[in-house]
Amino acid sequence: MDYLVAVLLPQLLHGLVFGAALGLLALGLTVIFGLLGVMNFAHGELYMLGAYAGIAVIGVTHSFWTALVVAPLAVGAIGAATEVTTLRPLYRREPLYGLILTFGLALVFREGVRQIWGGDMRRIAPPFTGSTPLLGMTYPNYRLFLLAASSLLLLAIWLFFTRTRAGILVRAAVQDAEMLDGLGVNVPRVFTLTFAGSAALAALAGLLLAPVFTVYPQMGVEMILLAFIVVILGGMGSMGGSVIAAFVIGLAQSLLTLWMNPQRVAIAIFAIMIVILIVRPRGFFGREGVLE
Amino acid sequence: MSSVFSSRGVMAPRAVIVWLCLMLLPALPFMSKFYLLLAFDALLFGTVAMALDLLMGYTGLVSFGHAAFFGLGAYASAVLLERGIVSLWVCLAFAVLVVGLYALVVSFFATARRGIYFALLTLIFAEVVYTFFRYTQTFGGSDGIQGVPSPRLLGDFAIDTPLRNYYLVLAYLGLAYLACRVLVTSHFGRVLVAIRENEDRARFLGYNVQRYKMAVCMISALLTGLGGALYPGRSAFATPDLMLWTVSGEFIIMVMIGGLGTLAGPIVGGAFFVLLQEKVSSYVDWYFIVIGLVLIVIVLFMPRGLLGIRELIGGRRWRTTA
Amino acid sequence: MAHDGVVLEVDSVSKNFGALAALSRVSFAVRPGQIFSVIGPNGAGKSTLFNVISGLHAPTVGRVRFRGQEIAGLAPEAINRLGIAKTFQITNIFPEISVFENVRVAAQSRARESGRLASLWRLPDVEAGASELLRAFGLATRRDELAENLSHGEQRYLEICLALATSPSLLLLDEPTAGMTPGETKEATALIRQIATARGLTVLLIEHDMSVVMGISDRVAVLHFGEKIAEGAPEQIRNDPQVIEAYLGPPEA
Repeated sequence: MDYLVAVLLPQLLHGLVFGAALGLLALGLTVIFGLLGVMNFAHGELYMLGAYAGIAVIGVTHSFWTALVVAPLAVGAIGAATEVTTLRPLYRREPLYGLILTFGLALVFREGVRQIWGGDMRRIAPPFTGSTPLLGMTYPNYRLFLLAASSLLLLAIWLFFTRTRAGILVRAAVQDAEMLDGLGVNVPRVFTLTFAGSAALAALAGLLLAPVFTVYPQMGVEMILLAFIVVILGGMGSMGGSVIAAFVIGLAQSLLTLWMNPQRVAIAIFAIMIVILIVRPRGFFGREGVLE
Repeated sequence: MSSVFSSRGVMAPRAVIVWLCLMLLPALPFMSKFYLLLAFDALLFGTVAMALDLLMGYTGLVSFGHAAFFGLGAYASAVLLERGIVSLWVCLAFAVLVVGLYALVVSFFATARRGIYFALLTLIFAEVVYTFFRYTQTFGGSDGIQGVPSPRLLGDFAIDTPLRNYYLVLAYLGLAYLACRVLVTSHFGRVLVAIRENEDRARFLGYNVQRYKMAVCMISALLTGLGGALYPGRSAFATPDLMLWTVSGEFIIMVMIGGLGTLAGPIVGGAFFVLLQEKVSSYVDWYFIVIGLVLIVIVLFMPRGLLGIRELIGGRRWRTTA
Repeated sequence: MAHDGVVLEVDSVSKNFGALAALSRVSFAVRPGQIFSVIGPNGAGKSTLFNVISGLHAPTVGRVRFRGQEIAGLAPEAINRLGIAKTFQITNIFPEISVFENVRVAAQSRARESGRLASLWRLPDVEAGASELLRAFGLATRRDELAENLSHGEQRYLEICLALATSPSLLLLDEPTAGMTPGETKEATALIRQIATARGLTVLLIEHDMSVVMGISDRVAVLHFGEKIAEGAPEQIRNDPQVIEAYLGPPEA
């Protein structure tokens, strides 16, 4: 029982937060792919840029909260600029080109950051310290805040996609991008905003999680690989599937770290993915008939 | 076999002539050991790029995990050489076995759904393979397998000089090119193009698309793995760094530089890249940024290939079948 | 396989997508050599019906029998190999290869080498059949043109050529004249009838254009909200009050 509370429960909560972040990234990937037809290999780097943008803002303003607002906006702007200059010309071309281009973008972002900030691990101090006793254990306040923040964020996104006109539009367009043409919508603007929006959200996740993990140029790589696994398991036709798969993987990652070293965890997650793919080749919610 | 070489144009005379000229390359005055090894690398990676072109240019599938096929071939060979099993043929056969098994598993999962999943899954599989070799001490961990002896071709005849390695890789290039040309000019090759153009339609015309994708993936993987198996003979080592996903990215650049869907183009692209890398690698810091920028620029401005190889080889549009 | 001379039998097929019932207990039979049309307002389930028959979906309930053989739930390529070929409502060709190469690769699907190891190095000889198809549809002069450069009407013809190249006995045409001008539509209709007769094909047709339906159908079924509300000879259907009420559009001349 003690073990449960002292060790398992914190990891479980950590896994939920991690899963939420993964869900954000996976959603971003899914939406961008469904709408723009591009698999954004650079999405992990947008997450990473959020953390580094945060470092930059904190360096100037010494305020984590200011960074929480400014950094995602900055990265969103970078996302918009990237989309307009490099991705737009690719929409009519085969998906192959988008893949390669975003792969190149990822390299540029990652190595660019390494040039500017160096490759060492950095830390962002959490905006508040201290812990709260809960269920017989004490939890760092920041982690509790993360739990609340990620739940709110996911709720907000869910509301956006189900209750707002823009959200419903984007969601429908993810299933069938061609339908946008017939609706008199400014398609290029929708694309740019969507890309910028998902970039900002990825950055937000990166910054929020930064005080818990270390910050280094490769941090996006690990996340994106897991996000890819989430997308494979959740299927790209289903946004709900992505979120559910994200929590499964997030929890698995968190719990397995208790018993195995990081490399074994990676291989274990991979094995889980394989097993699921054997049982359900199209993922959790693969839609029949889409030749997914 | 005569049906293979009939008027369907398997091998252009130009290609044979170029290959014969390459045989004479070592006779050139400035070809020191260093340059011979460079030439080895150029032709080896060029051939790997060609194997990747089967997937990318002809079938429209991007593999982000080709470095794993290469690295596995290298490790397979190195593991045997390290233990004193120095017959080249045994090494190659073992590499075929190892890479073949891995490729079977990867291709099965990677081809089950749409093309985009192929890219994701090849990447993930390759990362797992890299992680495994990097952190498993049996295979030397991050140092890999060092100091392996040279393989023997026949009896005591060892491939232990740059010159011998060069001719070995030239033979490999020639055979691989022939195999690829036969493949792309066959029924199979045309179906690959159809799959690239419209995978769904191909299914509704009666083609078991997954089977075709698996077949071309395995062929590409095996050719790449054979190339990897030749590498320890030249370098005397096999390390996990051979399997980094950045290496997979480099293979992709090679194909893009030379021009998708031309086979010969990627060979030239690979050679060009190796030579370029040799010059640029002194600026290690900036290297990856340059790679990234090159990829972006090629995709945006020169998708048909940096060197316009296509026009040189005969001006056919890359999208038409043979 | 006893099948009472029926080529295709759709037996109480229902298809649900979650809560949406796209098809409800649809049944009909198509006899050899018939041109059988399926009509109905948008959203009636016609394309879903085709998707079930051609293998994209498995029916939630019900059976589909082709020449007596159960085909529900088989993969699309397997169904095609049994002899059913489908065209798509939105043109679905191979854009960046030539018209001839389009039809040729479709024809290759039936070559002896197809699916065998030998296909890795052999090249089957299907050129004659492919050329003949192009001639029949008047595309012979366009054979070297990239498929994506064809006019819309020509692409719709190419769409049909692809399906025919696989030597089917049952042809599923999904709005073959969609987007065609009235002149092209007339031509296409006549061509389809002619080729179907010449090759002894059975044709299942989805159409919106009433002139086409009335012009070439031997039999018509009407779907509405996923259910079959009428079936019979074209004239019967035209005058059926239920059908008229559901939709028939402005009367065609």
